[in-house]
Amino acid sequence: MISFALEEDQQMIQETVRKFAAEALRPKLREHEKAGALPGALRQKFHELGLGLLDAPEAAGGQGASLTTLALVQEELAFGDPGAAVALWAPHLAAQAILCLGDEAQQQRFLGRFADPKGFTRTGAVGYCERAAPLAGFHTTAKRQGAGWVLNGKKAFVVEGGSADLHVIFAQLDGTSGWDGAAAFVVEAGNSGLKGGERQRLLGLETVKVAEVILENCQIPDGNRLNPTDFRAGVLEMFARGGLINAARQVGLARAAYEFALDYTQERKAFGKPVAHFQAIAFTLAEMATDVEAARWMVWRAASELERGEGTPLAEAVAHANEAAWRVADNAVQLLGGAGYVQDYPVEKWLRDTKALALFGPPSEAADLAVAARELGEPLSGLPSSTLQPFFT
Amino acid sequence: MIDFQLTSTQAQVKEFAHQFSKTVVRPISLEADRNHRIPDEFMLRLSQMRQMMTVGEVPAEYGGEGGGAGESKDKKGKTQKNRFALIGAEELAWGDASVLLSLPGPGLGGPPVQFTGTPEQRQRFFSVFKEPGLHYGAYGLTEPGAGSDVAGIRTSCRKDGKHWILNGRKCFITNGGRADWVVIFATVDPSQGRAGHRAFVVEKGTPGFSLGKIEEKMGLRASETAELVLEDVRIPDENLLGGEAHYARGKEGFMAAMKTFDSSRPMVGVLAVGIARAAYEHARDFVREHYQLARAIPRYAVLAQTLAEDKRLVDAARLMCWRAAWMADEGVPNAKEASMAKAYAAKMAMKVCADAVQILGAHGLEQQQFVEKWYRDIKVFDIFEGTGQIQRIVISKRILRESPNF
Repeated sequence: MISFALEEDQQMIQETVRKFAAEALRPKLREHEKAGALPGALRQKFHELGLGLLDAPEAAGGQGASLTTLALVQEELAFGDPGAAVALWAPHLAAQAILCLGDEAQQQRFLGRFADPKGFTRTGAVGYCERAAPLAGFHTTAKRQGAGWVLNGKKAFVVEGGSADLHVIFAQLDGTSGWDGAAAFVVEAGNSGLKGGERQRLLGLETVKVAEVILENCQIPDGNRLNPTDFRAGVLEMFARGGLINAARQVGLARAAYEFALDYTQERKAFGKPVAHFQAIAFTLAEMATDVEAARWMVWRAASELERGEGTPLAEAVAHANEAAWRVADNAVQLLGGAGYVQDYPVEKWLRDTKALALFGPPSEAADLAVAARELGEPLSGLPSSTLQPFFT
Repeated sequence: MIDFQLTSTQAQVKEFAHQFSKTVVRPISLEADRNHRIPDEFMLRLSQMRQMMTVGEVPAEYGGEGGGAGESKDKKGKTQKNRFALIGAEELAWGDASVLLSLPGPGLGGPPVQFTGTPEQRQRFFSVFKEPGLHYGAYGLTEPGAGSDVAGIRTSCRKDGKHWILNGRKCFITNGGRADWVVIFATVDPSQGRAGHRAFVVEKGTPGFSLGKIEEKMGLRASETAELVLEDVRIPDENLLGGEAHYARGKEGFMAAMKTFDSSRPMVGVLAVGIARAAYEHARDFVREHYQLARAIPRYAVLAQTLAEDKRLVDAARLMCWRAAWMADEGVPNAKEASMAKAYAAKMAMKVCADAVQILGAHGLEQQQFVEKWYRDIKVFDIFEGTGQIQRIVISKRILRESPNF
């Protein structure tokens, strides 16, 4: 039945996260930006609210939240600060990879450390992307050595790369090529074969630490090779969930920019009245409000359909939310004028953040081509197969 | 629970309406457009079919008929009427929006009779639709000098014993020429603004009430758009919607005019969605048939990107319309959301229809390809039922703390 109604528990968690975002994220937005990191106390608070492993199944120490709940939470977090939304979520990324690719015993073993009360101090990282990666598979290699594996290679654009307590590294089994020979390995803290490269400075989302990960004769036991029933399906699910989360963040960012501009233009006066009372400004605000809503319903539909195993609405939502958020953030800067461009106000940051966020999910172009391929009933030959994979993991 | 799946009954309504649209409506679409008229025998067959159909198979396009699909109440006394109506209407508009607008029934005149009329008036004016033959209601608000500025209407009404005398002109009235009755909005005194408005049901054949002309339009040509003339038309008290007491509170007449839009704007929005979807699907199938690897890949990729973008715009607009309809079903005020849905859908649909013409290239201009018709049809969706600009005024007045004076 077509319904836009939230369940009672969804309303509660939405309210909780909204309050957290308003009190702990938004007021500290610039402080966290300058520090380039989030304080431990903030991560602890986030953990204590039960958001630590929100999306993991209860058996793995999580809350078993649905994808629609996940979308609601991400919208609120990003409404507070998109950068914090990404940084706070880092353990989930690794957890998600383990959930999608690990067997039950591995899930128990690796996720426990995030779920326990001290889990907030631990972050996870996913090493997937490579500079100039092959069309299918990876340049990073995994070689058999005795009962274990040795990893060699370089991973790019890794959130918490090198500093996380646990890395999930994607690599190519020695002597293979393409997806059939690809696998994922868990590298635990203290492994001297894994090093973080220099931190990469970003256009936006400064709170998020991104670095290369360098693997030099990184030795790991056989039990740390994730053991999926279907590797490709696991990877697709991991990226689908990540794409959804990121699209929901774009909605939160857009709402933040819209509401800020809505307030500002009613305070700011020109020619004797609030600038919002000029039609050119009011109409722009009306379009921004509409953009935010349309993007939100696209994300909600994607979440609800993804639960059912239907992925096309997600590809639509990704491109739609990226476009809408950029347009709204740009309008917000424009409506604030000079005030929109200076750092006294957050809107200039949101215009940078939205571009960065667009690369933390699947690129809009790949998403659009996935939709077209489906609609035209054929793979688009000559174009890279689209896995909805992000640039940043 | 957040959900976007149709119920099995809704899926049936959708499938039925789609098949009907595809096999019955679409085949007459081009000819009706050329002739500026849908043949009476076609409409008659349509209305007979409609009467034979059991409840639940035909969407109740507009409130007031009762017993339509989705009208059964749940435990909280809520219906899914608006959602059902949107699902059926999208499919029919996919076939031809003109046919949909020409369907016999109270049309836009339904809501004011339903919401403002007394039980006796509802009974009296709705009963005509149960009689055999083609019966229409219509909605007369727009005038040559007042469209968007509803408060500026000049059609006058003055009390004369137990009657009212109406004088003025109404224009752009859908089905106005053939309507059994038209809800006419008039003013007792233009200087009173909205408080001076009264809504009357003016019946066909009332002396002094005549047809000016039938408009020839850019699109939706098969839909009748009429000019109506009122010259000393005597209307009995019983035809004042809601009775006189209803207007004692001030702006009731104006509110009656506006109330119509809460359910009609999402409906108009979803008609634009139906046309846009038709154009999108036509272009998609054209690409599928004509471009398969026959062109260099970059050209193909650009087409693919355009199609994907259009697909998601259509879907987003539909969700906006569903949202406003869901609110209406829940009994939540939805004026802002209804305006958002309508404005968004119209804008999106114009782009999608223009893209379809472009994708078909020279073929896009040929009449037998349909897309040139949809390109003409769609423009009015950004004009009627409140222009895109009026929608933005409605939205901005509701999002700003104080109502701006523009």
